[in-house]
Amino acid sequence: MKVSVVRGGGVSGLVTVTTVDSQTLSADDAKALSRMVEEADAFGEPGVTATHDAGPDEFQVSVTLEDATRRRTVTAAEHDLPDRLRSLVDWVSAVPGRTEEVGPPGSP
Amino acid sequence: MSLNERLEVAFEGCSIAPPDILIQVAEHGRTREDRDAATRTLAASASLRARRGLVRQMIRQNLASVSSLMPTSTDEQNTVYDVAGGGSQQLPGARKRRQSDPPSDDVAVNQAWEGADETYRFYSDVLGRNSVDDRGMELVSSVHFGSDFDNAFWNGSQMVYGDGSGRIFVEGGLTAAIDVIAHELTHGVTQYTAGLEYSSQPGALNESFSDVFGSIVKQRTLGQTVDQADWLIGGGILGTAFTKNKTALRSMKAPGTANDFDRQPSNMSEYVDLPDDDDPRHDHGGVHINSGIPNHAFYRVAMALGGNSWDRAGKIWFHALTKVLQIDSDFHAAAEATVDAAAELFLDSGEESDAVQQAWKEVGVL
Repeated sequence: MKVSVVRGGGVSGLVTVTTVDSQTLSADDAKALSRMVEEADAFGEPGVTATHDAGPDEFQVSVTLEDATRRRTVTAAEHDLPDRLRSLVDWVSAVPGRTEEVGPPGSP
Repeated sequence: MSLNERLEVAFEGCSIAPPDILIQVAEHGRTREDRDAATRTLAASASLRARRGLVRQMIRQNLASVSSLMPTSTDEQNTVYDVAGGGSQQLPGARKRRQSDPPSDDVAVNQAWEGADETYRFYSDVLGRNSVDDRGMELVSSVHFGSDFDNAFWNGSQMVYGDGSGRIFVEGGLTAAIDVIAHELTHGVTQYTAGLEYSSQPGALNESFSDVFGSIVKQRTLGQTVDQADWLIGGGILGTAFTKNKTALRSMKAPGTANDFDRQPSNMSEYVDLPDDDDPRHDHGGVHINSGIPNHAFYRVAMALGGNSWDRAGKIWFHALTKVLQIDSDFHAAAEATVDAAAELFLDSGEESDAVQQAWKEVGVL
């Protein structure tokens, strides 16, 4: 199981990609990740939440979930991120073992 | 009749109403089937994004005109709240400092209050504007948004500040920067005036006006002339994600040189043509990257005219923003509007309009 959170826009305009992979997490964290993804029914979310756009300098957020058989990307303005995904995003953004990459708009 | 009903009446006979209703269904429909069906229909509309932008703009302008009919309090110009780690649903949070209150024991609260106060006084004293809506609208700020949150933004009705995680922004950096505060408030001014759509060139102009007045407010607060100013936005607040260069978020003097990841162009020949889609990597068509071009044009005008940036260059830009530019104005329209504004504001002199024209030529727009 792999989850990537891409944040873009914001006052900096920079792109931040935070990724966690069950294979590189501790066994407990890997279990917690798959439980959170199932509880959030994250693979069942519509791909684009089709909401109004982000306001000036607000983050646009995109969450991609992958396992052996499925792949799903959900995109939303930060304030419109579905509640069920918000806690997953917060968890991914803080768990030890995550990787984080920063780059200019258009990358990485 | 509710506001929504009135808006729907306003949209009758206007082809942009149906997508807006679909968006509502896609967002709030009762069943997943309803939401998915609405989403599919929306996706089939090739011009959806353009229309959605227009709908959003019309709603905002309708709200602005509705609010203009209501009396606004002048007693509370500036109020700061603590959202205590909460998100958008928890805004604004607990009230911590009102206009007439003494300083709080929370540094972020005081910085947000003082930055909003400086910005209010700049708009009022220098440009004769009474708050973001020119009708004395209360300036509302919320600090301590989210957890390790590396952003500050204007959400359409208030300012929101995260604490910074230390990685993108140093902890406490976002409220420490007066130019960031004035930048966010200027998004409010733009919303109530030109209403520049947050997309591609109009979006980059929206960003640039926020940088321009962010920098001017900082210069005025520090009492700096154009020669003394550093022309940086968000100087000294970047965190550990930057290893070699963490000078600032942006440089109006030398776009593209402010930090490790700064790719801002200063000339149209280097315009970065990103798509305006929902991909967070594309930043609404590169609004924070291409703003380097109009930013540098303003810098050149201010340097050519000398003295204080707010005396002439700032007034020219403000006139264009509030009296001439519109939702879909592009860089060329901004160039023409500022040249005309310079000629209109400074009748007896060709110096200002010449300087403006020259600057836009130098950045490859005219």
